[in-house]
Amino acid sequence: MSVIKAEGVTFVYGQGTPFQKTALDDVSFEMREGEFVGLIGHTGSGKSTLVQLLNGLLRPTKGKILIDGNDIWQNPKKIRQVRFKVGLVFQYPEYQLFEETVAKDIAFGPKNMGLPEDEVEKRVQKAARFVGLREELMEASPFELSGGEKRRAAIAGVIAMDPDVLILDEPTAGLDPLGRDALLDQIVSYHKVRRNTVLLVSHTMEDIARIADRIIVMSKGKNVLFDDTRKVFSQGEELEKIGLQVPQITKIMMMLRKNGFPVDSSVLSVEQGFQEIISCLSSD
Amino acid sequence: MVRDITLGQYLPGSSFVHRMDARSKILLLTASVVFIFLCFHFASLLIMTGFTFLVLLGTRISLMKYLKSLRGVLLVIVVTGLFQIFYGSGEPLFEWYFLKVTMNGLVSAAFIVVRISILMMISATLTYTTSPTDLTDALEWLMKPLKLVRVPVNDIAMMMTIALRFIPVLLEETDKIMNAQKARGADMESGNLFKRIKALVPVLIPLFVSAFRRAGDLATAMECRCYDSGAVRTRMKVMRFGWRDLCALLICLTVYAAVLCCGRWLPSVF
Amino acid sequence: MASFIEVHHVYFRYDDEETPGEYVLQDADLVIQKGEFVSIVGHNGCGKSTLAKHFNSIFLPETGDVLVDGLNTKDDDQLFAIRQKVGLVLQNPDNQIVAGIVEEDVAFGCENIGLPSGEIRERVDRALKAVGMYDYRTHSPDKLSGGQKQRIAIAGVIAMEPECIVLDEPTAMLDPQGRMEVLRTITDLNRTLGITIVLITHYMEEAVLSDRVLVMDSGKVIREGTPREIFSQVEFLKKHRLNVPQATELIYRLKGCGWEVPDCVLNEEECVQALLTLLKQTKGKGDQVCQ
Repeated sequence: MSVIKAEGVTFVYGQGTPFQKTALDDVSFEMREGEFVGLIGHTGSGKSTLVQLLNGLLRPTKGKILIDGNDIWQNPKKIRQVRFKVGLVFQYPEYQLFEETVAKDIAFGPKNMGLPEDEVEKRVQKAARFVGLREELMEASPFELSGGEKRRAAIAGVIAMDPDVLILDEPTAGLDPLGRDALLDQIVSYHKVRRNTVLLVSHTMEDIARIADRIIVMSKGKNVLFDDTRKVFSQGEELEKIGLQVPQITKIMMMLRKNGFPVDSSVLSVEQGFQEIISCLSSD
Repeated sequence: MVRDITLGQYLPGSSFVHRMDARSKILLLTASVVFIFLCFHFASLLIMTGFTFLVLLGTRISLMKYLKSLRGVLLVIVVTGLFQIFYGSGEPLFEWYFLKVTMNGLVSAAFIVVRISILMMISATLTYTTSPTDLTDALEWLMKPLKLVRVPVNDIAMMMTIALRFIPVLLEETDKIMNAQKARGADMESGNLFKRIKALVPVLIPLFVSAFRRAGDLATAMECRCYDSGAVRTRMKVMRFGWRDLCALLICLTVYAAVLCCGRWLPSVF
Repeated sequence: MASFIEVHHVYFRYDDEETPGEYVLQDADLVIQKGEFVSIVGHNGCGKSTLAKHFNSIFLPETGDVLVDGLNTKDDDQLFAIRQKVGLVLQNPDNQIVAGIVEEDVAFGCENIGLPSGEIRERVDRALKAVGMYDYRTHSPDKLSGGQKQRIAIAGVIAMEPECIVLDEPTAMLDPQGRMEVLRTITDLNRTLGITIVLITHYMEEAVLSDRVLVMDSGKVIREGTPREIFSQVEFLKKHRLNVPQATELIYRLKGCGWEVPDCVLNEEECVQALLTLLKQTKGKGDQVCQ
């Protein structure tokens, strides 16, 4: 069943001014309940505009965004309700922390929803556990945390609203390799428990390949591809044409295939690639 | 979007006025403003109005732009104009309750309206034709005498440069933070004044934190590039007075002389 | 080659009134040669950025010494000489651009050291051409991409004609396109102008480009070698919160199972070459499979 759906969405910045620019051009797609979707495209392809349209921060110039079948702009006064349903974690979200304690900051979203005190408390605890924030940090000032911890606290602030759709814009930007892997693993395990829809925007193809079920590819304001992860990355040449890369391991397999070796060129991880090579070596 | 605001409204170009030295523009503009206030006769006002339009033409910027610059002060112009109409002295042309309209009132209203309008438009030429950096440099030069009384002119100029550079950056940042808090359900569009001010806290705190972080980074970057606030800096762009500045000066002096002559030999309309 | 920067047993901690804090640098000891391209890798918090700020006297060692071209960074009289020799580019491109017009920002450093205006003009033009941003000289930095802004920051440093440029995670905030632009620019500066480059990063894909890699953890250099020597030690790197490109890891795993592959590959071309050789040689002899 589709949770969120875009129907012919067009968005123009600064309409009627000299800065007028079409950021999105007739984009349609739908995301199903419980799936993990990756969103890729280079800077300026319309990714950031799209995610802000999905949670009602921007209003489409043309077209509709539907959540559970209802147009989110049907009643503009209720647009805040949409933002609780579609949680959006911006790039470098640690820059939005402002409360005295981490716990209070995470509680900001749930409080805005008007939830009772004990429910807020429960959600804060749960969200902190999801992102792996240690108990003793909850009463610390968010400004005293390390970079990685701040990032987690900020993500927890959105998770605490318990959204049906969680959108993360480059959640691992600037983290070191291990921090990156750890945070992504946490997001994956959160998704496994909560079973909601997650949309992950990333420049790192290796990460997307590892965790997404399906991938939306954006280029010049249009969604040029939306398919299973394997199928998207098996079209390496198409992707390169619009200036995107495939994971290195996928590229290696494609090059082997070009040289006449019958390996599966849609592998997405080193582990899969390793197995592929081994089985190719053992067969004749 | 906040970030679409253009600062200083500089409109790049290569007209006569664009290519004048920023220092002469500031000085002559200031003098012209004074002379606009010295107009007490139809003839002198006509001269200054003509002069203003000559300057506007010299910028090769469409007249619409200048008319738009008046929009911001339209209310002021209308209110002062009305005020003048009803506060004139002499025989009333017609009366309505306590309001009297006199010939004198009408004339001075017209005077005021024209004066404010040309004042605004001629001032706009400075910001329209001079880049913020040129303005800063010119102001730094013009403030030089203040060094004698120990005003840190160089530091002030550096602060202005940095402010000009970072205002757009911080505006964009404000936009981002506001969106991030709205995404967490912050309500900034409804409620009474008190509620709205309170709703700004989640925006202002991160903004200040970010501004301090940036300031720290910038200080390091400036140190790395050998900045020393006490030292004498040289400049890549050297300001030079050219033939355009001389021409402008001569034109202005002629106009000012004409205005002074009117004041000397014509009776004031007031 | 002559040594250019020498770091001798440096200890450093941040001043904190209440708690003296832990040492961020503990016995950091290394040498950087003139004209070489070195990368310093390590996870966040290993002390690599703090070390970078020691190279041009932004920070001074608590104990130990840092020598730049023979000058001690603790010597106050040499401060500006040292900062002219070693330029530093920071992570966030927005926070290091001072002026509102590209060329004026590039001129900033030269203006500080009191060069005559004609020479500044020449140097600024040359620096902008070197980073490929000459066409943008009269633009405002606001409208440029992250990669372009970072190249402007680099140009500002080059205009001072330093012998060495230290870049502290210059690509961390950039998209892949911007990252490529910056890397191409610095490799170019090293090759054509012979400028010594110290690249601080946690992207191992970037370290591949350098002549020598220094691995840092807990405030000191724990291993150094050519990229090939360092990348072949996958377990060691993982232990220190780093990883290797997928190509390197794949070959490493095959090697671990006893297949005949090179000790280390650095990129996908080398990896494909190695795999092709292996596949051609051993096709059908797959009994030694290890899963």
